[in-house]
Amino acid sequence: MKPWLRYAICILLGAVGGCGYAISQVRGDYTAKQISNGPWNANTIQGTEKATALIRAKVALHGIMALPAKEAMYYIAKTDSDGAPLNGKCTYTVRGGPLDARWWSVTLYYGEGWLVKNEANRWSVPGNKPVRDSNGNWSFTVSPKITSGVWLPTGGIDSFDLTLRLYHAKGNLLTDPAKATLPTIKKESCT
Amino acid sequence: MKRNWLLPIFVGLITAGAVWHGTLLATPYALMSVALDKIATGRINTFVFTQLSTADNQPIVRPSPDLSYSTCVFDLANGPVLLDIEPVPDHYWSISIFDARTDVAAVRSDRDTGGKSARLALIREGMAIPKGYEPVELRYDKGLALIRILTTDAADYPAIDAIRRKSTCKQL
Repeated sequence: MKPWLRYAICILLGAVGGCGYAISQVRGDYTAKQISNGPWNANTIQGTEKATALIRAKVALHGIMALPAKEAMYYIAKTDSDGAPLNGKCTYTVRGGPLDARWWSVTLYYGEGWLVKNEANRWSVPGNKPVRDSNGNWSFTVSPKITSGVWLPTGGIDSFDLTLRLYHAKGNLLTDPAKATLPTIKKESCT
Repeated sequence: MKRNWLLPIFVGLITAGAVWHGTLLATPYALMSVALDKIATGRINTFVFTQLSTADNQPIVRPSPDLSYSTCVFDLANGPVLLDIEPVPDHYWSISIFDARTDVAAVRSDRDTGGKSARLALIREGMAIPKGYEPVELRYDKGLALIRILTTDAADYPAIDAIRRKSTCKQL
């Protein structure tokens, strides 16, 4: 084999491999390499100059136009609190306490981050909806079936994620996501 | 035989690394360009006031159904673009400026303005700043200005919609 052909083969394979690996990384798990806290994952540098090339590319694909942390924190859960992937055919209870932020909501997405069609036309639970007990604790249900109380439909899809948005978050929610007190996600049953 | 391949394989590995990094660097620009085209639909330097996001109306990935979004795809090629943002009383609102690389060049919310309007001048280096506007210098001509207004009660939407339509995005 002529030398130039050896170079051409290696350069071509290198280019295809490098491009393919980059695409697989960008399209891979959005929450990979983020700060973990139970089922939740977040990062504090998206949208800023500090973001690495990979984080910037991942945000562009999965969460373009996301705000920087001081304005909004985005915690994403792809599993329940026991580590099992969230399944749209299962029922979950999301339970939490007071969250130190001006406003919060939990939104259900599938795929790269799309709202799921459902009969109730409901895609999120705003923080002012769940009833609080005397300690400020609250809960709501995520389920493919209509349930009593505050209910977030899954639409019966195979897998989904939950995004907890916190605007003007304070304390650990903003500065130390790994130590923040976050809601739990408990699987109740599956169909 | 094997020795003949050592240098070509080394060059191939260098190429793989360069293309990997180049792809990561290029991805935000490419995806932002697609997003700007999709959002603008030919309308540049003017606000587009979109309906609340639903499963059938998702102009961008990971939209919040609790926010009213207003978008202005801007182009500074012919001079500064001025943003006058009408405040919405008793609701969280913000104006954020995203550049062509998806970085946030500026965010101003009602917390920053004390509930008053935000007046921003989007400029490139060396452009004159109009009086009364806060300058936001960008590294690229194109980008997106995005207003978010918290709309947790659908009954509030008509009033919020009427107020936000007073906000303007225009070329100087």
